[in-house]
Amino acid sequence: MKSAYFAAFLAATAVPALAEQPVTLNFVAEIGGAAFDCSQSYDHLGATHAQMNVTDFRLFVQDAALIRADGSQQPITLTANDWQHENVTLLDFENGAGHCAGTGNAPMNTVITGEVPEGDYIGVSLTLGVPFALNHIDPTLASAPLNTTGMFWTWQNGFRFLRIDFAPAGGTPMAHEGHGGHSDHGNASGWYLHLGSTQCAAASQTEAPSACVFPNRTTASFTSFDPATQVIVVDPAPVLRDADVTVNAPDTSPGCMSFPGDADCDSVIPKLGLAYGDHPAEAQQLFSIR
Amino acid sequence: MRKQLCLGFGAALAILAAVATAGANGRYIWPMPAWMPPPPVPAGNPMSAEKVDLGRHLFYDARLSRDGTVACASCHEQARAFSDGRELAVGIGQTIGIRNAPALANAGYVPQLTWANPHLTTLEAQALVPLFGEDPVEMGSNGREADIFAALAADPYYTDAFASAFPDRPVIDLFTVTRALAAFQRSLISLDSPYDRFKYGGDADAMTPAALRGERLFFDHRFECYHCHGGILFTDSQQTARNPAPMLGNHNNGLYNIGGTGAYPARATGLYEFTGLAADMGRFRTPSLRNVAVTAPYFHDGSAASLREVLDHYAAGGRTISDGPHAGIGAANPFKDGILVGFDASDAEINDLIAFLESLTDEGFLTNPAYSDPWPADHPARATRMMP
Repeated sequence: MKSAYFAAFLAATAVPALAEQPVTLNFVAEIGGAAFDCSQSYDHLGATHAQMNVTDFRLFVQDAALIRADGSQQPITLTANDWQHENVTLLDFENGAGHCAGTGNAPMNTVITGEVPEGDYIGVSLTLGVPFALNHIDPTLASAPLNTTGMFWTWQNGFRFLRIDFAPAGGTPMAHEGHGGHSDHGNASGWYLHLGSTQCAAASQTEAPSACVFPNRTTASFTSFDPATQVIVVDPAPVLRDADVTVNAPDTSPGCMSFPGDADCDSVIPKLGLAYGDHPAEAQQLFSIR
Repeated sequence: MRKQLCLGFGAALAILAAVATAGANGRYIWPMPAWMPPPPVPAGNPMSAEKVDLGRHLFYDARLSRDGTVACASCHEQARAFSDGRELAVGIGQTIGIRNAPALANAGYVPQLTWANPHLTTLEAQALVPLFGEDPVEMGSNGREADIFAALAADPYYTDAFASAFPDRPVIDLFTVTRALAAFQRSLISLDSPYDRFKYGGDADAMTPAALRGERLFFDHRFECYHCHGGILFTDSQQTARNPAPMLGNHNNGLYNIGGTGAYPARATGLYEFTGLAADMGRFRTPSLRNVAVTAPYFHDGSAASLREVLDHYAAGGRTISDGPHAGIGAANPFKDGILVGFDASDAEINDLIAFLESLTDEGFLTNPAYSDPWPADHPARATRMMP
């Protein structure tokens, strides 16, 4: 912390002061093009056009930046608040009501706020993820928003970057492929899209991981975007387009929780812009602009 | 080497110093004989009698779960050395878990918690898994911590207890709750079995002749039990305040070999889940054998019902599953630990080995009031609590 102050002091004295301009990135959550609402059900999800409720909808964004005409990026200096810490923001589209009463809570956040040096910017870039330096801290001592237990992924010593949870509408039970009589088959009550870093090795038993085999951070860039008039849309429906969200592959986590070898992820993670097993990365389809 | 030892000793001194200055009443007294070094204590969580007592109340308090039905004790029962007798743990809403609930005797000495998670190196960090884990759901408290802390704050016991245990930080939050739970678990010391009384207490009659014959077999090269189940705690996965580095015993013991590929069931691949390295397939932490006679069923998935079944497994050098989705010859698992070559043993020898394992049961630990449920039966902490 001391060194951060020192660096800020150096920056303040060594560089001529530049005028700053505030910037707000507005986000909207949608499901298949319809506004997301915890009290609604949504049709036509996935390959089987299932009707599902959405029970949670939150994500971390890191390294938000504006893009100049020459292609260079200007990181946004985030406003420190309960939703933003250093270079990471928690976007929270659920209000804890309706279908979201299980894991959700009332506070919501649909913006990234900060400032950039005055200048001409033509686009925006952001990364779905929590920076490595923050992803493996002790969450019991973390500042907001990294103290959000709904985003804890302590089993993997990190945070979920993305959690969008689905449950069959109308109480239809989840189907399970290939019944083999194993006790974990009957547990899935929904289809969960959770993205986070996996297979993170530590140099020693007392250190946080030094690297992850699958960091699973994915970047979206839009070279023509005006924060004043446009919004960034977060919609999982295109990502799930080829997945059957009414079925959980046997002996796997319910839905797709990023772990290698889960057939439920085969068509999904590539559409987040990440390779998965033998499936190469495709263009990310979670974020779009309007 | 000398430098490393000195560093280790320095670290141990630092840890002991932290213990010595802990707590409102001064030094915490470990409930253990002088010959045993205490478990390591993280610098940020010194032991104190007040903190241990608070942790005990939290450990038995089902209000830590989403629906008030599951406490830590719901899967960790003192009479079973803090295991639960089930094959797989059970969470809220009768959710069947994916691992056998490990026993907690001497848990502070375990350098890598649960059955094979290299990320969970402290009891403080491990506590977050049952509290907030969702796959499987255990206590289901994800997103509900504000309600839970409010419920605890309304209990007069906790108002005073948190202030006494954390005089510098008297708040009910994730930090203090996980620290107190860890301190209580670190106080769970079990070193007073008949074996200990024979070995260290000078009581020549503490062990039966059968148990003494079994001890010789246990340490015999034909059986090789002690290669993994060695040391005071009968495991090669242990650390003490005096170790410069933890011992990290994780082994594939030939329980599965699905399709002859070495594979384990998809949701129970051991260390492989975290490293992705083929050689880590099926490698699980070696559990301590202290109190093993009361912690059935055995293995990470509770798939052996009795000690006899476990010994049969090791005699065969692995388990053969003849049909079904897990079919395979475990003894031929390519990632199996090389020491497990199997053995021939008579029924009498197996009986003697079991007698020895039974001599590791510490009856005082199973009934020690310091570890027992502190709540009255009708108290909200336990009124709706599920027990094994």
